[in-house]
Amino acid sequence: MTEKRAILTARGVRLAPGASPIDFAIGPGEIVGLAGLEGHGQDMFIQALCGLHRPEAGEIRLQGKDGHVVQVTEFAKAAAQGLAYLPRDRRTTGVLGGLSVFDNFAIAALPDHQRLGIVDRPRLKEKLAHFTRELGMVYRSPSASIGTLSGGNQQKVLLARWLAREPRVMLMNDPTRGVDLGTRMKLYEVFRRLAADQGIPLVILSSEIEEILQLCHRVLVFREAGLFAELERDAMTMDRVIAAMFGQEAA
Amino acid sequence: MSRWLAGRAYLRLAAALFVVLLAVNIALNPVRFAPASLGVTIGLASGLILAAIASMPPILAGRGGIDISVGPLMGLVNVVVVRWLVEGLGIESPFLIVPLVLLLGLLSGALNGLLATVLRIQPIVATLGTSLFYAGITLTIVPSPAGTVPAWIKALAGPTSILPLAAVALLWLLIKRLPFYEQLLCVGSDDRAAYTAGIPVTLVRFLAYVLAGLIAAVGGLCLTGLIGSADPNIAGTYTLLAISAVALGGVSLAGGRGGLVAAVLGAADIFLLQTALTFFNVSTFVLQIVYGTVLTVAVVLNADRLRQLLRRRRHA
Repeated sequence: MTEKRAILTARGVRLAPGASPIDFAIGPGEIVGLAGLEGHGQDMFIQALCGLHRPEAGEIRLQGKDGHVVQVTEFAKAAAQGLAYLPRDRRTTGVLGGLSVFDNFAIAALPDHQRLGIVDRPRLKEKLAHFTRELGMVYRSPSASIGTLSGGNQQKVLLARWLAREPRVMLMNDPTRGVDLGTRMKLYEVFRRLAADQGIPLVILSSEIEEILQLCHRVLVFREAGLFAELERDAMTMDRVIAAMFGQEAA
Repeated sequence: MSRWLAGRAYLRLAAALFVVLLAVNIALNPVRFAPASLGVTIGLASGLILAAIASMPPILAGRGGIDISVGPLMGLVNVVVVRWLVEGLGIESPFLIVPLVLLLGLLSGALNGLLATVLRIQPIVATLGTSLFYAGITLTIVPSPAGTVPAWIKALAGPTSILPLAAVALLWLLIKRLPFYEQLLCVGSDDRAAYTAGIPVTLVRFLAYVLAGLIAAVGGLCLTGLIGSADPNIAGTYTLLAISAVALGGVSLAGGRGGLVAAVLGAADIFLLQTALTFFNVSTFVLQIVYGTVLTVAVVLNADRLRQLLRRRRHA
């Protein structure tokens, strides 16, 4: 990926003292996977990319909504510039437990949906209806508590929450964790469409290699808080990814 | 109406108490609650009602958010208006006094917000500090009750007593339609999830304190009308009564649940209790015991834990 077209770039990012620096760039329509054994830095890296975790060194740049390139240091600011992040732990950092489906959906997009400072509820309701069809969400009513939804449907609400903001890039931390197979296939289809039709680059951290092989154009394999290998689509096989996760060059 | 209530089960207790206490009060003292004297009666209650509304936003913002400087700020507004503005500078026009009072409230709220959210000092400690500070300044300005106030301020406790309440209610209705209100409730219900939804958590909490200061300042003006002079000793008790009122109204002290109606009902309950008991010439000491009992029982009845236990027993 040439630096010029890239939407999100990381330069010289060091996740731990002494770890090797990581360079990374992602451009329109790309789907990049992050893999590695649990705790080898991929989780820190995706959080660093969205400004939730400050790396030891290096900088992250985002080509923002207004065309300017901004440095990602704080999540809320990056989010306002079109960066979206789907957290791993849906229950503690994803859904707002006591609130309704509509509130959970609308919360991130509020700043973009106001008229003279007043929340434009009708337009948000329309959008929720739109994404409900688009993502095949199932729930009783928009005012139902989010807790009554299945894991997969909660994840779709969170996805819709960010899509409503028309993101420039989406980062997803294990997006299909605890999601049933049918919903998972539906989500894959949605991800592919987002990248192919709308050109939104996706960074997907996954603990399932199968998922990365199915979805991603390339994969970064992390080991000991550094980037151990980067495999392009043609080179991506289950054996190679697993070998890289364990620090071996695959045959 | 029933749909509106369905989402607000926490109001049930305060509303029931309100109906009962109102009936008791009307039976005991029909003159005071006659339509003709409604202005005066609301004037008696408006200070407490506004104090309760003022203490709510920081509580809604969650994670131990609380503003205990509401009462002392009202006292400070009282003496600043009487001693400095009216007596010192000779300002009597509402068009000067009201903006200055609001400015004082904004500044105080910003100070609390800065301490409690930007510097992240425990809110109860931060606002305890500012409340001691305000109480001290108040006593320095006016060591003992003194002074008089212009007629329009006095009228705020009489015929026009609904004005400040209506203004705050309008402000609240406006705020409810802003993104800020949704963000406030989200931050209060789960600040980590709110943060990963891209909400500027610190800013939202800061604004909650600013709002508290602003509304408390209006309350201070109403209090000034009620006592008609500068009194450094009266406002301090409002903090605890306001927090009691909010809790009684069913606002969760853990954040994320509550609203204007809850605070108003809670404050009205306490006020009605007060008037009913004073009708029997009950000693103020007994009054305190009754406050304490009612508050404790109300909070226990509103407790989620108790509801869960009851529900479990019903199912078992």
